[in-house]
Amino acid sequence: MLKIKVLGPGCSNCQKLAYLTQRAITHLSIEAEIEKITDYAEITKYPILSTPGLVIDEQLVCAGRVPSEAEITTWLVNALEQSDQPA
Amino acid sequence: MADFALGLLRGGLSNLAAYLAAHVLLCLLPAFYIAGAMTALIPKESVTRFLGRNTPRFISYPAAALAGSVLAVCSCTIVPLFAGIYKKGAGLGPAITFLFFAPAANILALVYTGGVIGPDLAFARLFLSLAFGIGIGMIMALIFRREDVAHDRETDALFANQSKKGMRRAALLFLLVLVALLLSGTLKVGLLTDTYARLTLPLSGADRFQDFLSRLVPYDASKGEEGVTAQGAILIGLLALIGLTAWKGLENVFDGFTGWTWASLGLVAATLLVAALGMTPRAGGLEVGLTGKFFGVFLALGVLAILLKTQLSQDEVRDWLWESWRFVKQIFPLLILGVFGVGIIRQLIRPEWIESLAGQNTLPGNVAGVVFGVFMYFPTLVEVPIANMFLSLGMHRGPLLAYLMADPELSLQSILIVSTIIGRLKAWTYVGWVALFSTLAGLIYGAWVDGTGLGLIVLYLAVFLGILALTLWWMGKRNAIPEAAKA
Repeated sequence: MLKIKVLGPGCSNCQKLAYLTQRAITHLSIEAEIEKITDYAEITKYPILSTPGLVIDEQLVCAGRVPSEAEITTWLVNALEQSDQPA
Repeated sequence: MADFALGLLRGGLSNLAAYLAAHVLLCLLPAFYIAGAMTALIPKESVTRFLGRNTPRFISYPAAALAGSVLAVCSCTIVPLFAGIYKKGAGLGPAITFLFFAPAANILALVYTGGVIGPDLAFARLFLSLAFGIGIGMIMALIFRREDVAHDRETDALFANQSKKGMRRAALLFLLVLVALLLSGTLKVGLLTDTYARLTLPLSGADRFQDFLSRLVPYDASKGEEGVTAQGAILIGLLALIGLTAWKGLENVFDGFTGWTWASLGLVAATLLVAALGMTPRAGGLEVGLTGKFFGVFLALGVLAILLKTQLSQDEVRDWLWESWRFVKQIFPLLILGVFGVGIIRQLIRPEWIESLAGQNTLPGNVAGVVFGVFMYFPTLVEVPIANMFLSLGMHRGPLLAYLMADPELSLQSILIVSTIIGRLKAWTYVGWVALFSTLAGLIYGAWVDGTGLGLIVLYLAVFLGILALTLWWMGKRNAIPEAAKA
């Protein structure tokens, strides 16, 4: 299962990102858990200069813009492949 | 009692109508799209790569100011970038410069100040914020230099490893034409404001419509109030239509472009063109004057449409539309509420109060402006109609600038967020410096408005900066000795 974090204080960009990510997950029909991180202290632990940020399995994949659903799908698929390999 | 309440309500509504009809459109509408284009089309790396730990100071401070005006329009961007610069990048000084400059000099604030109050105040705000932002940053860096050294051991990989990705030329051109659109609509030069052709539309009743509006929104020009013109009423209608189509077409822009998306863009273009016309209702119909503005706006819109169709990728267009819409959604409703509120409060404040408090460019007047700015919190851009209200009530332009410098920089909310990142002591030291510099900015600008010669002002400024530099140099020397002893 993928652990996904959406970083951002709750402005409309972060909401959009969470919504698009949720949709990509539904379309792929994979198991994943989305967590919204709104605390600045927590957000700045990731190498991020502006929100929104997307973290998949503790890897920051995108920051400072809202990516398209196609991009999110690609990242999800990549992360799935990586998490399959060691097992 | 009911009359009193009705009077207040009417004050709020007429203020709102006048703002929507007159000030907002030609300046604020393009400004939102420019802000959107800046956020969507300028890669953040092109500025932030100058904010790393190893960048020389004479580059990192201006770069921090640039980042403030170009990258940061809302607090979603300001706080993480501030924390990043402070903790992992160039350090406390440039971080403070960024924090100070961002709310005062972003495109929306400047354009709105220029459009509502006057270009002179917008320029004063820009230049004084730049000078003082860098000044306060350097002071803070010097006061807290020892703590900053601790940060030096952390990496600045976040900034250093960035590719030197620049901006695409087509995107840059698009942004520049947007700026040209804004300028052609707002610049007050003869070439643009002159009317080159007139035609009369046979709309009978245009003059009666105007009379009706004047009765509906009565105004008193001597009190600085503005009424609504027939043109203004048309514009308010168009604005409502834009809101509707944008809600349908831009809110879901990530699902693809729809007819609504293009409809809203078309309406924006139509609104700008109507706003650029000169309209006079006459008995025989509506006289329409084709001004230089109209041709300028028309030309800029045409070029924008071509660039949009042929040069920008679909992703770029989508990001641009989304970011612009996001700013509108975030700022506009609060601005409308703010303007409405200002209209109500305007009825309650007596000009004598303002005049006795800050009618002259005095030290207490400027301090009053700053104190009001610190303890009041207004949403983004609402400080501008408030400042305009003070101006119409007789406030001097000096204390007005002091207020405009202090209000967006300092609010209890931002002080609290900042203090969680840099600590309470530093945050309050920052507040103290901003208050001091804002008062000073007001005094200097006020003296200039009152007709003090430029030479004398430069002299004041030089003396002040000289004293400051000497103090800092002396403090730096005192701090350097123990460090040298340690080594």
